[in-house]
Amino acid sequence: MEKVQLRDRADRISQISKRYMMEIILIIIVVVLIVTAPGFFTLGNILNIFRNVAITGVISFAMTMVIIGGEIDLSVGSSIALSAVITSTVTGKLAATGRMSMDSAVWIAMLIALLVGACIGLFNGFIRTKYNIPSFIATLAMLNVLYGVAAIISKGFPVTTLPNWYNWIGAGRFFNLIPVPALWLAIAFIFVYIIMNKTTLGREIYAVGGNPEAARLSGINVKFVKIIILMIVQIFAAFSGIILSAQVMSGSSTFGRGYEMEVIAAVIIGGTSLSGGIGKAWGTLIGIIFMGVINNGMTLFGVGDFEKYVVRGLLILGAVMLNTIQLQSLQKVKQ
Amino acid sequence: MKLGVFSGLHRSYVITDMEIEVSMSVLRTSNVTKRFPGTVALKDVSISFQSGKVNALVGKNGSGKSTLMKVINGAYNDFEGSLYIDDQEFRYQHPKQAFEAGIATVYQEMSLIPGLSVAENILLGRYRKNGPFIDWKATYQDAQDVLDDMGITLPVKEMVAHLSVWQCQVIEIAKAMSANPKVLILDEPTSALAQSETEMLFALIRRLVKKDVIVIYISHRLQELWEIADTCSVLRDGKYVGTIEMEGAKHADLLSLMFGDLQLKERPADVVALDEVVLEVKDFNREPKFMDINFKLYKGEVLGIAGMLGAGRTELLRAIFGADKPDSGAIFIDGEVVTNPSPVLMKNKGIAFVPEDRKQQGLVQILSIKSNLNHSSLDLISNGMFVDAKKETDFCRRQIKDLDINVPGEEFPMTSLSGGNQQKVVVGKWLNIDPKIVIFDEPSRGIDVNAKQQIFQIIWDLSRHGLSSIVVSSELEELLEICNRIIIMKDGRFVDEVNPDDLSVNELYALSMGGN
Repeated sequence: MEKVQLRDRADRISQISKRYMMEIILIIIVVVLIVTAPGFFTLGNILNIFRNVAITGVISFAMTMVIIGGEIDLSVGSSIALSAVITSTVTGKLAATGRMSMDSAVWIAMLIALLVGACIGLFNGFIRTKYNIPSFIATLAMLNVLYGVAAIISKGFPVTTLPNWYNWIGAGRFFNLIPVPALWLAIAFIFVYIIMNKTTLGREIYAVGGNPEAARLSGINVKFVKIIILMIVQIFAAFSGIILSAQVMSGSSTFGRGYEMEVIAAVIIGGTSLSGGIGKAWGTLIGIIFMGVINNGMTLFGVGDFEKYVVRGLLILGAVMLNTIQLQSLQKVKQ
Repeated sequence: MKLGVFSGLHRSYVITDMEIEVSMSVLRTSNVTKRFPGTVALKDVSISFQSGKVNALVGKNGSGKSTLMKVINGAYNDFEGSLYIDDQEFRYQHPKQAFEAGIATVYQEMSLIPGLSVAENILLGRYRKNGPFIDWKATYQDAQDVLDDMGITLPVKEMVAHLSVWQCQVIEIAKAMSANPKVLILDEPTSALAQSETEMLFALIRRLVKKDVIVIYISHRLQELWEIADTCSVLRDGKYVGTIEMEGAKHADLLSLMFGDLQLKERPADVVALDEVVLEVKDFNREPKFMDINFKLYKGEVLGIAGMLGAGRTELLRAIFGADKPDSGAIFIDGEVVTNPSPVLMKNKGIAFVPEDRKQQGLVQILSIKSNLNHSSLDLISNGMFVDAKKETDFCRRQIKDLDINVPGEEFPMTSLSGGNQQKVVVGKWLNIDPKIVIFDEPSRGIDVNAKQQIFQIIWDLSRHGLSSIVVSSELEELLEICNRIIIMKDGRFVDEVNPDDLSVNELYALSMGGN
């Protein structure tokens, strides 16, 4: 009897540990860093981590919806650059007309940047659904197009025509403590969490990603769902460009290079399946913190930038492997 | 067991018009029992299969046919009992080992690689080598020899992707034959073939039989057994119930062996069509799939569309549901024309579609039973944006209760359900929208007899509530049982309309197959 109980308990523990593998690994890494890394476990440093991950993290949440829906968007890195360049350039031009101050012009500029983002997403979605071109290819092409456009608009130089208050969006702190970007991160999390768990759109995204043909034959508007998720991720990317340009008070076409990798890495580390239909906003939150903690730890230990690339790359590889093994074993358990 | 046991089996054979019988060999299973957790799939099965004959193996779904084949071809090695070929016992650990030793299986699902040539597929991994390089000339010649030996003409260098289903099936068999097998197991080889192709396949099998190969032929299509099989062994609920010689055997004999004392249920008297037209299809065309389709569906009617595979039935149903665009034609629902039909629009008009392939088209397998049951009714369980969690659960439970779906839990993935229960989830998903018309494409495919009867009951219940159904099935006896009216479709056209009470299964088969 006792043996059976023990085995039951062991089974349950192994199941739980499989299900919460990333959480457990994250906790272990955090504990190790607390013990070994000087200055890791200070309030200032922890808050810094959240500030640093916010720019890619905001997009990661939207990307979670895209990947669950069976699509991907590789163009988000250059969308950051484009949005930053548009915001700063438009602000400058509007202010130069003399009709309004930079303080108010930047509002219009931000709105335009977000609208452009929405249009890019609409275009990506249109290409995807109308011509049935894999979003992987379509958005890879867009990655280059958008960088080019950003460079053309900015003529290759950083544009710094931004009002002082704008800095608050990217570098401000509430109560002199909590970084403002952490708020954007929280809003993005809540937004995606509600969409995926509480709305019909969320249900449809899971169905479309899990089996597009079955979803279509269930009377779900698959094309609409795909276009919407590709639009949302672009709007989020545009917003991320605003945060970044606010942080450094300029817009440059060099922004966001390679960020799409970080964005997608966080989603995959968070347990979202690249084949679609499986994933959670919560998992992506873990993935974002994971990436942030690793980056922060490496900085504290003085690891160089080149080595960081190697570590991050291996991390993504490891996460995809873990993710695959985990999904397989979960499916076995459920069967 | 060493592979050498069969080394003497590649004996030469002589085929003359007189058919000299080379020493006949026999594959025998002796008291084979195979257990799975919670169930016994095979109970004490002792059957023998002889060479020189086509040995059919039949039984309804879940009777243990596939399990027995997997025991023989090494896919399962943990069974009780023993296997013999000519009194030599054998037991393989792995299908590859069995294949090399002369037991070849041709599965229902095609396993060819479309991007490779015919020769490469036939000899996959067994190419002739010239040092480290592949000797293509010899490889093509080997493949050509295999095909010549089978009496088949196929271009060995052609890419498989360019070939028809029937040719692919032939390549599957050639692949099996290339190893000079002693035993050839064919698992539903005709399931994807058209009538004329089936004829060609049968000719091929008859040729193979003459080569002293033990052919075991598994099929669901009873009608074809009379054409191809010499003997027919029957499994029922994992037990061997007997073997009959096909020559002189009657349909009823085989049926009673397969099903025991199966009572075909009468269609209830209260399942009747009213005089009101709910759906009208006019001049529907989508060449070459279907042409000149005109029909009316009445309130409460259960309309069957009979026809062989490839008659265009599925394509027609999909076009009616708006899943594919027809070339021309119009659909009227309650007398109003439907412009630009799409699945979304058709759903909103109260039309439900239970597709042929529930795994690929009906369900999202990785998602939960609860979400699958609500995939069509998302508008009804929400305020347009936010899902009402209570309604969602209610909708799910309502169908589980009404359709008697056997589930381990609402949150379990679809993969945890049996075929019949999965099918009920597809039906339940649609009943959640309170449809006016339900289109069923092969509703009983791959589900057991019990679940089948329950699906029929559901269809009749819908009719009693004034819902109309269109049912397509390859099992024509089913259509006779459930429908008020049957339209016969052949080569993309409606050729006849019959009253199911007026004719027998055989007559219906004859009408559907036409002048073959």
